[in-house]
Order: sequence, then C-alpha cells, then structure tokens
Amino acid sequence: MRITSRKKTIAFAVTLGVLVAAVALVLNISWIVLNWREVVPLVLGVLFFGFIIAGVILNTIFLVREVRRNEQQDSFLNAMTHELKTPITSIRLYLETLQQRQLDEAQRREFYQVMLDDTQRLMGTVEQVLRAARVTQKNAVLNKTEVDVGPLVQDAVELARLRHHLPGEAIAWELDGRPAERLTVAGDREELAAVLSNVLNNAVKYSPKEPRIRVEVVTPDLERVQIKVQDNGIGIPRGELKRVFKRFYRVMTPGSTQVKGSGLGLFIVRTITQRHGGRTWAESEGAGKGTTVTIELPRYQP
Amino acid sequence: MTGHILVVEDEEHLARGLKFNLEAEGYKTEVAGDGETALELLLKERAAFDLLVLDVMLPGKDGFAVATELRDANHYIPLLMLTARGRPEDVLKGFAAGADDYLPKPFDLNILLARIQSLLRRKEWSRVQESESGAAEEKRGEAPREFDVYAFADKQVDFATLELRAHGKMYRLTLMEAELLRHLIRNSGKVVSRKQILEEVWGLHEDTDTRAIDNFIVRLRKYLEKDPAKPQHVLTVRGVGYRFVPTPASGN
Repeated sequence: MRITSRKKTIAFAVTLGVLVAAVALVLNISWIVLNWREVVPLVLGVLFFGFIIAGVILNTIFLVREVRRNEQQDSFLNAMTHELKTPITSIRLYLETLQQRQLDEAQRREFYQVMLDDTQRLMGTVEQVLRAARVTQKNAVLNKTEVDVGPLVQDAVELARLRHHLPGEAIAWELDGRPAERLTVAGDREELAAVLSNVLNNAVKYSPKEPRIRVEVVTPDLERVQIKVQDNGIGIPRGELKRVFKRFYRVMTPGSTQVKGSGLGLFIVRTITQRHGGRTWAESEGAGKGTTVTIELPRYQP
Repeated sequence: MTGHILVVEDEEHLARGLKFNLEAEGYKTEVAGDGETALELLLKERAAFDLLVLDVMLPGKDGFAVATELRDANHYIPLLMLTARGRPEDVLKGFAAGADDYLPKPFDLNILLARIQSLLRRKEWSRVQESESGAAEEKRGEAPREFDVYAFADKQVDFATLELRAHGKMYRLTLMEAELLRHLIRNSGKVVSRKQILEEVWGLHEDTDTRAIDNFIVRLRKYLEKDPAKPQHVLTVRGVGYRFVPTPASGN
C-alpha cells in the first residue's frame, strides 16, 4: 500500500517536472522568436530560461531521490523493529515462564540457554548498527597492523559454520598456491573480521537450506589480495549489483519472499574495505544462479 | 479450558516458548513455520483448530496476506495477530485483513493467555447460543461447526450412527446421504447450488452432470417430508439448487 503511494508520488513529481520544463522551453523559444533582432534581451532571456529549466530538472531529480531514500529508511526501520523486538519478546516470554511456572531443572537450563542465545542475537544487531555508524565517521582511527589473511579467513569460516550450525562441507575454503608464503594485509583485524563475517552471513542467508559456499583467496598480482566468497544462493539481478552496497538498500524480491535483514551488511563491507584502500564488488549470473562477492585489499608493504 | 491452537511463528525461540506455555495451560498446540504451511493445514487439509495465533513478519506470505486469504476462503477461525509492528496503521491493517485481536510484541504472557482464553470463550458462547436458538438462520459469518446430533422440527439426525428419526420412524442413511444432509443443514436458510454440493460434498470439480444429486434429494425427502411432493424442509430453488429450512413457517 505504502509502496504504491510512493510510486505515485514519484510519477507525479516527474510529470510535474517535465511539464514545467516544457512550458519554460516553449516560453524560451517564443522569447527567442520575439526578440531575435535585439541582442541584449535575447542573450539575457536565453540565460534566464536556461537557469529555470536546469533548476526544474535538478529539483525533480532531488525530489525523486529523496522519496527513494525515505522508502529505504522506512524499510530499515521496519527491519530494525523486528530485529530488536524479537529477541526481547523471546527473553521476556521465557523470563515470565520461569517466574510463573513450576519447571524441572533440565527445562530451566534449556530456557536459560535460549535466553543467552537471544542476548547474543540482540548484541549482534546492536553491534551491526553501531559499526555502521562508526565506519562512516571521517575521523575514526583504524587500528592497522599486519594481518595474516589465512587465519583471518579460517576464523571467519569457522565462526560462520558455528553460528549457522552448518556442517564442514557447507563452507569450503582454500588459499591460493604457495602456502609457505605468508599473505598479509595492513589493516584493522577486528574490522576485517567484521567484513568477512558479514559477507559469509549473506552467503548463508541468501542460499537454500543446504548452502554450498566457497571461499577463495587469490593474488592477482604482487600488490593485491582478493578474497572471493561464492555461494549457490538466489543471486542478484544485474541492475542491482552496485546498489546492494548502498546503505539500507535491499533488493525487493517479487513474490513477497523477503529475507530478514537490516540493509547494513554490505554497506559496512564496502565502507571498511574502502578505508583500507581496497574495493569490493559483487558478481552474479542472475537470479537463482548464486553470487560471488570479492573483497580486494592491498598487500602489506613493510 | 481446552482448545486446539495453531501457532504460526517462524522465530524458533518464540514458537517454542509459546507452545510450552499454551500446552501448560492445557491447550493442544501445533506450530507452523510459515504462512503457506498454515494455509495448507487450514484450507487444504481442513484441520480442525479452534484458534490461530499468527505472526506478521513471516518468510514468504506475511501474516496480513494469510489472514486475508483465510477470510476470502470463508474460513472464520478466531485469529489473534501477534507482531512486532505496533503502529496504529499496522494495527488497523491487521484488523482490516481479518484479525479478531491484535497484540504487539513484546507482550505480557498473562495478557496473551487471557486474550486467547477470551477468544475461545467467545467461540464457545456463540456455539451455545446458536444451538439454543435452534439453527439460527442469521448465523452468517460463523464458522461451519461440526455436530453429531442435530434436531429440527420433530426430526433428529445422528451423524455418528447415520440414523434419522422422523415421524416416529427410524431410517438408516448412507454415508453420502448423511453428508449431503449435513451440508444442507450447515447452510440452513441459504441457497446451495448443485455445483457447490458436488464440490463440497463429493469433492468433484469436473463438470459432472449435477442432476445426479437430485436422486439423493429425492431419497432425503422420502425420509424427511410428510409429503415428498410438497417438501417443507428441502426446498428446490429453480435453476440453482436447494435450500434447507429447519422450521418451516406454518401454513406454507
């Protein structure tokens, strides 16, 4: 309901913009026709109308962008409400249960564990939001050290397996070629771990029940390291490959199957990578054909 | 109080906690992880639940869509929406979709239980009231309820034993006769088309000759009516189908 009204707003703004620009153009042409012998009014008039037309077009573009951004923030707010309230609801439910009912020891223990998992989930969400806020601060300091890519990836893979209760073969990973050589990058270990964990989470989240994820570390040349995360998930339509890295942006899937999430993950990934002097991009053969996200970082130069 | 409750909730922790508490209150409880499963259970399998607890943010079809689809299919199970969205427009949307009650998360356990109890009680009350006033003709909007024994005028049908008592005699009904009669009774006062009977009693969707039903109607009339040529209970609505009238107006 809300989305269609947004679409209407956009359509209205664009139509109005085009109409006003057209009227200005017509007036401009008539002005030229009427004054074509007199140089000063002619030049002034053309300049004046040019300004108006440019202004109208710019205004329309900004308006449309603003409406879109608004929409994304709305969906972010919805997702956040859900992500924050669900664990709280669960914790409250279990606490009330413990308070009001006679339970045996095993049950009590089970309920404590559920609540601990919920606090963990809540913490994850809060950290994600805080991280998204932090990485956009211009003056934030990076704690750069020499980071080994091998253990970094291994830790991230193991953490993801653990978090999503996946068997070992669900996420395979390999290091390019020469294992004797240490592959290192200059970076903030914790931030880079957050990058990998976000990409791996996405890979699991947007994949079928039995995900097959491959993590590959390759060195295209002496200066760069690439970490490629390839999944067998739902993929990304071509037009959305760049936009998914925008803050709050989420691909709208028709058929209403919406995967839960904040729209912050890939934004965090891109921002942190950029601050390390690297880049990230996504590739996909299209919907249903899986996605490969590549994180490229400069190698450590002693 | 007893009752059979279906909880539609994809968050595993919440589902488990709700099931535990509802079962502790003595309700039989089942959990469905998404809207499609719930619709399948309720509409396709016609599973008999007394109450539906429905989350809104579900994978696939959301709670609003599930509620709308249920109500569109004339399924009037009492429905409590349970959701993280608590803004007035969400609440209104929930009621517009067909919810009977709406509780935002996080909720108070006792309040949730009280609301569930109240919905079940309301259902029970309507049922009692309805059977007291006979087959209330204005029971539109009420879920078709199952009954074992049904009495009208001076007749009595027992659907469990397939026995029909009328005019001091006892008739044994065949299963299909009983099902047809039950369907007619369920829709007391309303016109039921031949096609509808074929679909809902026989489960046939093809374009079978709907005249086949007429033979069954003839037999039912023989049991029920004093004068099968001038039926009082099972009336023919020309060109459409039949209408069941439990208490015919006198002098008709």
